[in-house]
Amino acid sequence: MAAVATGASGPQCAEALAAAAGNSSSTSFRRRVPKAGGAESSGPRLVSISGTRPSVRNGQLLVSTGLPALDQLLGGGLAVGTVLLIEEDKYNIYSPMLFKYFLAEGIVSGHTLLVASAKEDPTDILKELPAPLRDDNSKKELDEDICHKTAENNTKMKIAWRYQLLPKMEVGPVSSSRFGHYYDASKKISEKLLEASKWHRFFLPEKVSSTLKVEPCFLTHGYGKLLQFIQNIIYEEGFDGSNPQKKQKNILRIGIQSLGSPLWGDAISCTESCGNNHSLTKFLYVLRGLLRTSLSACIITMPTHLIQSKAIIARVKNLSDTVVGLESFIGSERETNPLYKDYHGLIHIRQIPRLNNLICDESDVKDLAFKLKRKLFTIERLHLPPDLSDTVSRSSKQDLADSAKLLGPGCGTMAGGKKHLDF
Amino acid sequence: MLESLLAIGGLVLLRDSVEWEGRSLLKALVKKSALSGEQVHVLGCEVSEEEFREGFESDVNSRLIYHDLFRDPLNWSKTGEAHPGGPLGALRAMCRTDSCSITIAVDSLSWLLLHLPCTELCQTLHVLSHGNSYPGVNPPVGQVRVLGLLHEELHGQGPLGALSSLAQTEVTMDGKMGQASVHILYRRPQQRPAYQTQWFSILPDFNLDLQEGPLESQQQPSSHVPLVDPTTHLTFNLHLSKKEREAKDNLTLPFQFSSEKQQALLRPGPGQSSSHIFYEPDVYDDLDQEDPDEDLDI
Repeated sequence: MAAVATGASGPQCAEALAAAAGNSSSTSFRRRVPKAGGAESSGPRLVSISGTRPSVRNGQLLVSTGLPALDQLLGGGLAVGTVLLIEEDKYNIYSPMLFKYFLAEGIVSGHTLLVASAKEDPTDILKELPAPLRDDNSKKELDEDICHKTAENNTKMKIAWRYQLLPKMEVGPVSSSRFGHYYDASKKISEKLLEASKWHRFFLPEKVSSTLKVEPCFLTHGYGKLLQFIQNIIYEEGFDGSNPQKKQKNILRIGIQSLGSPLWGDAISCTESCGNNHSLTKFLYVLRGLLRTSLSACIITMPTHLIQSKAIIARVKNLSDTVVGLESFIGSERETNPLYKDYHGLIHIRQIPRLNNLICDESDVKDLAFKLKRKLFTIERLHLPPDLSDTVSRSSKQDLADSAKLLGPGCGTMAGGKKHLDF
Repeated sequence: MLESLLAIGGLVLLRDSVEWEGRSLLKALVKKSALSGEQVHVLGCEVSEEEFREGFESDVNSRLIYHDLFRDPLNWSKTGEAHPGGPLGALRAMCRTDSCSITIAVDSLSWLLLHLPCTELCQTLHVLSHGNSYPGVNPPVGQVRVLGLLHEELHGQGPLGALSSLAQTEVTMDGKMGQASVHILYRRPQQRPAYQTQWFSILPDFNLDLQEGPLESQQQPSSHVPLVDPTTHLTFNLHLSKKEREAKDNLTLPFQFSSEKQQALLRPGPGQSSSHIFYEPDVYDDLDQEDPDEDLDI
């Protein structure tokens, strides 16, 4: 009886104790929750800037280049603090499109822009940026395109139907994407968007009066001015963390047009022997140093077809991080080649950086072609037919154009012609 | 043809060579633009003023404003005629004068390239062609057109490429069998370049006479190799008849999961019976699952 009585009172005592111990928790154990928003916070805070995302591969902060297809080829986007070098095509028709896409992406994401040019006024460049596509319109248009293509493909693939499951190069717009927007190349960007954005311009003929004779010292005069301008902007606006009172971190997108052309005062494209002309390489070196210590990304278009010395082109490529080359078919024999009739040119991804990594994120697709449709700039995989003639060598694909002409009478006509063999 | 060359402003580059000279075409263009009422400045470096004006009528000659660099290029006589900024300064001063459209003929750009740094020349030409959009120039100038004569054999690929990239129109002189022709490349911004080839000859009064191509002389008899079609005499069939093609299309392929296969798998056919396994327990078999030590014989 006594035991029962104490047993009965036991739980009551325990409850009374528990009630006395804590108000809400029934145990005396407490979890230490890290204070959120404290000055000495325990965990690292993620830098969340609009228009960027961390790379899943190497943890770098990525910005979009404005073309989601190009982002995919570069491994998710362009890393902040790196240089994207675009080798211009011969008549400079398609590389301004990539330049404008990059800047338009900056405006849509709310980044600050810095546009430098020796040829056109940056104000005019900014007025010609493509307008962003609204999500529902773009999805409708791209769906039409994709449906059209897959309808054709479905009838062809009866035996090799598993290839239909391969991922396509063209990525449709994700409806709620804050990274990588689509643009309508036939429309210009609206004035409101331009006014709402913050941008700086550097136009060389205004900054440098060319009647002034300046001795060539460390750098060509134009390059020196441009570097000083970029450094000032980075410092004043706090992209390198020098103004800690800044409320919101932002990215600076720098666009330099036609670097290395004689309009910048650089004689690299005019002389065959490079001699002591290291201005361009020194400029790239200093620029990369500025970019690495600040939250900025840079796009440079360079007319490498004008530079005669291959050594300098190789050095320029090594000094840039990502190098993309455009080769248009205009004027070359490939324009009339039926293999390339759907496309306007080839795009070569020449270099992708290894940032905190041992390997770089190359895609396995090496034959890429681009096409500038009226509204869209598309990059697609180029499907070349197999080399069936015995005159062409296996190692070079550009002989294919020649071999297509060499296919004469005989067995060759069967391989290259429209007639196919049914078995 | 001359109208189309003079239609767009900017730099018109005339590339000539030793065999096909371009000065006569330059003079034809100068005459055309002078007669259409524009202001024409000529920067003469290679030939003397008398030689350049030779062949022009008096009304054309009266409209030409000639800047002579041939007689005294380095300004040794110090007469004060030469522009203080050198030839480039003279060029820049030309486009600031009036607000009507101006044509500047440079004879020749090769001389300027050989005496001045290429980058400065390119920058000056760029300023001239786009002179109306810079804030430094006082009143907006009309259309400025620069006709430059360039001897392409004197320069390497570098300067030629640099000047070509600046030019809005590039005219290359060529010819065959005594007939001169031009290959014109129109480079308009943001548009695909357009090509044109034109055969012509220039008359003594610098008018242009457009012509067809040179008459084809006797053609070489092309050796004909009779085409042999290897599919003619074969012992087997290379093409399918219509019936055979239909039968082939209707065939289901082995790895394709069509609806017939699905039905066949779901519903066992009449010939198949579901398989059963019959088991007769042996004397040594352990039937008791729970006792692990049954076979220990303890």
